[in-house]
Amino acid sequence: MRRALLAVWDFIVGDDWVTAAGVVVAGAATAALQSAGVVAWWILPVAVVVLLTRSVTRHRG
Amino acid sequence: MSGSQWALAVSVFLACAVEAVEALTIVLAVGTARNWRSALYGVGAGLLALAVVVAALGPAVGSIPIGALRVVVGGLLLVFGLQWLRKAVLRAAGLKALHDEDAIFEREAAAARDADAGARGRGPVDGYAFTIACKGVLLEGLEVVFIVLTFGANQHDVGLATLAAVAATLAVVAAGVAVRAPLARVPENTMKFAVGVLLSTYGCFWLAEGAGAHWPGGDASLLALIPGIALFAVALVAWLRAPSRLRDLERAS
Repeated sequence: MRRALLAVWDFIVGDDWVTAAGVVVAGAATAALQSAGVVAWWILPVAVVVLLTRSVTRHRG
Repeated sequence: MSGSQWALAVSVFLACAVEAVEALTIVLAVGTARNWRSALYGVGAGLLALAVVVAALGPAVGSIPIGALRVVVGGLLLVFGLQWLRKAVLRAAGLKALHDEDAIFEREAAAARDADAGARGRGPVDGYAFTIACKGVLLEGLEVVFIVLTFGANQHDVGLATLAAVAATLAVVAAGVAVRAPLARVPENTMKFAVGVLLSTYGCFWLAEGAGAHWPGGDASLLALIPGIALFAVALVAWLRAPSRLRDLERAS
């Protein structure tokens, strides 16, 4: 069971859990702002820019 | 076909072709170094296991409400897309070794020759060749199944996504059989860059829609998102390639 969960974690999250967590946070922020009546489509493109920049600078070489 | 159907077909074809090249390299390596019959048995077993997964997951995916499906699938695609894009950017910038199918083939073949050489020919099936080929097909195939089901379900066109995946797999296998060697000339890194952009774009789009947001212009916003993310990734490559930046990175690492 533990091995199966680790395999799923590795398959989905891989070696960068911060990016996965960032996607979850950005999705939740989009839902929260949108439900409060604020236009929120821009959050995820901004998240892509921030998360990708952080990821490439952390995983270089 | 409409524009969105072409986009779906091209996205699935490219992503599945990359996975098929990786699976083909593994099967060619163990087949050449160990035992072709056992490797092909492994391929058969892997495909059978995949068929079971599709039979179990296919109807389940179709019954999930579209909003929830888009949140889950969009989130997963965005995570996968950003991972692919990060590796593609680092490779394009020269900060990570290029994905070399020749080198992977040699490594897999050497491991196959070294592993439990006594098992070869002892029974009707070479366990090593069977297991490695089966795992290679199953793991790469699971990614293909995931891409087909998620893209297909979101666009309400699993049939087209399946056709694109089958076409990609057949094209790669036919090329592999024709050259009887790893497909080193396939521009795999360029394809991975493009697939990373597409996965990130669709992930971003579907996750926002699933979360209740409305894109300006609806589906047409994809026409801005795709080149926007691609240009940003290219700009990151240029930024990382800048001599002063490379010096900073080397000093820091």
